[in-house]
Amino acid sequence: MSEQAFVSDASAEEQEDLACSLLSKHFGDFAAVDKVSFSIARGAFFSILGPSGCGKTTLLRMLAGFQEPDSGDILIKGRSVLHTPPNKRPVNMVFQHLALFPTMSVAGNIAYGLKRKGIPKREHEALINDVLDKVQLPGYGNKRIDQLSGGQKQRVAIARCLVLKPAVLLLDEPLGALDLKLREQMKIELKRLQQEFNTTFVYITHDQSEALVMSDQVAVMNKGRFEQVGTPQELYYQPATAFVAGFIGDSNQYVGQVQEQSGETITLVTEHGVRLLSHSSQPMPAGAPITVFIRPEVMQISMVKPETEQDNCLQVTILRTLFDGARSQLQVETAEGAVLTVALPQTADFHALEPGRSVYVSWQANQCLCFPVPAETEAQPEVAQ
Amino acid sequence: MSAGPGGSFSRTQYRLGFWLLLAPVVLWLGLLIILPHIDMVLVSLRERVASRQYEFSFSNYITFFAEPLYWNTFVRTAVMSIVATLLTLMIAFPVSFYIAKVLSGRPKMALFILCLIPFWVSELVRTYGWMILLRETGLISGALQWLGFIDQPVELLYNDAAIMVGLIYTSMLFMVVPLVTTLDSLDNSLIEAGYDLGGSSWHVMRSIVIPHAMPGIMSGCIVVFMLTLGNYLTPTLLGGKDSLWFTEQIYTQFITRFNWEQGAAFGILLLVLSSLIVWAGLKVTKQSFTRVMS
Repeated sequence: MSEQAFVSDASAEEQEDLACSLLSKHFGDFAAVDKVSFSIARGAFFSILGPSGCGKTTLLRMLAGFQEPDSGDILIKGRSVLHTPPNKRPVNMVFQHLALFPTMSVAGNIAYGLKRKGIPKREHEALINDVLDKVQLPGYGNKRIDQLSGGQKQRVAIARCLVLKPAVLLLDEPLGALDLKLREQMKIELKRLQQEFNTTFVYITHDQSEALVMSDQVAVMNKGRFEQVGTPQELYYQPATAFVAGFIGDSNQYVGQVQEQSGETITLVTEHGVRLLSHSSQPMPAGAPITVFIRPEVMQISMVKPETEQDNCLQVTILRTLFDGARSQLQVETAEGAVLTVALPQTADFHALEPGRSVYVSWQANQCLCFPVPAETEAQPEVAQ
Repeated sequence: MSAGPGGSFSRTQYRLGFWLLLAPVVLWLGLLIILPHIDMVLVSLRERVASRQYEFSFSNYITFFAEPLYWNTFVRTAVMSIVATLLTLMIAFPVSFYIAKVLSGRPKMALFILCLIPFWVSELVRTYGWMILLRETGLISGALQWLGFIDQPVELLYNDAAIMVGLIYTSMLFMVVPLVTTLDSLDNSLIEAGYDLGGSSWHVMRSIVIPHAMPGIMSGCIVVFMLTLGNYLTPTLLGGKDSLWFTEQIYTQFITRFNWEQGAAFGILLLVLSSLIVWAGLKVTKQSFTRVMS
């Protein structure tokens, strides 16, 4: 970008803490990050969600400065940081295994960055106490790192970065090492800290629940590219691609063929021969191969055929119940042999359900999604299963 | 313990096994280390008054302090050993850092093995190697003449620098191995975190890498210092008559003068000296002996 662009676009640039344009990184022939562009509004909690090996760690390391992009640009507060070494960038990183310095105390860890920043020593104590209060570890300054629990280490790692008031805080799956209960607590805690410090967070994870719970914006990454960027609700209810629909939340996935389209409703037949109605905003020619996604929680179970007209209503046989408290599910099979997973509400009505029993599941056409099967995966439809 | 009839028997067996396994260590320590040292102390504390007649006396120690040559040699050996240890550390640290943190895979193994290979031949052969290089008719002297820097052969052997070169070369491996091991155990993300929080290379080295490597540095230094202080071959061969190494004094007393009492006293003094310096080194760097040696 030229200097003039900065001046004329100053107000827009001011609102963005971090922007990337056409960022790429290749390892040999493998494109780890492939022409990724995005911008993050000031003070947002931005997550990059993707399966392992999708390039999200490479992307984060480029933002931190530990890896050089092959092409593209990174702007932090409107300034390119491509030629800025990691120790000069206004970003800080919470490492996957936290990387607290074991040879220093908690206060020593926090003071390390303050010293490097040239903040006078007499101000250190007040700053350290202040940030320890904010992460709810008051009086922990003199503790050694090995005296802390997992959650406390987590907080120290965040405090150590936030005390430096970075423009952007990068978090590399920091909750991965925690047990489930603590992880749930830290999700809420991280969100609280982000709001309290009002710092832009870039959080990478493969755990969709972490991304959905905490983020203002989530980018779903696959094979080095962003599939979709949006709010958690958008990703969940309006996935833009088949990958996002399959990756976010649970889904029953079927490969099928379009039979006909009337308006925004498609009639399709799955490979098992089940006829379904689905919503689709884009036109689909008859005979085109498509993948249909049905979420377990949109389907309603009933003992008798529902009286009101439903777009889709299947008579199915219960295979087994998968009990998981409030997340319990029912596996059912249609007469044609297609297996569906249905959310099982934990109400008294459904306690008597036993394998082998025949029930009805029904849902509206606009509650399922379908996407055309891309040409290159057409030859191997079993992937979609 | 089992309560059955075989209980006491298996207990006896267990005891026997324990002592049998311990026996080699006890025998080795007792017969080869503790007994000789006790005997050395006793020998050093007696004086021959007539043939085969000895009396308790401190005269051997008094001789050491009264005779400036002994005293000077003693201090010189200690100072040279400390300098050799520090120089070895300064050369070995960057090498170890490069092997442990910069390289990976095959080049890492290759370089590590390159450090190891010279130690497959005996110290004597390695020292002769240096003599071939450094002597008046040696390779370096010849090369310098051929290049025209000097017009007559130059003797590079038999001075302190030659001793130092030999000592450092001999000790290198014993510094590189513990350093590579400790640096290998340093998580790369700690180094990255050091940079990420604003540190320059110098800061990262000083506040993160060196504190982490301190146990390795100290254990390397202790081993190198002990080996250097007790080295006989290298100072004698490379330093010649003027090398004035304390082990030579001990050798002279035992072998040339047949004065075992004086030699024993020197030996005990060397042991006390090395223990004191190691202790002081650990105190100064605030390291504990058990941690350094683990």
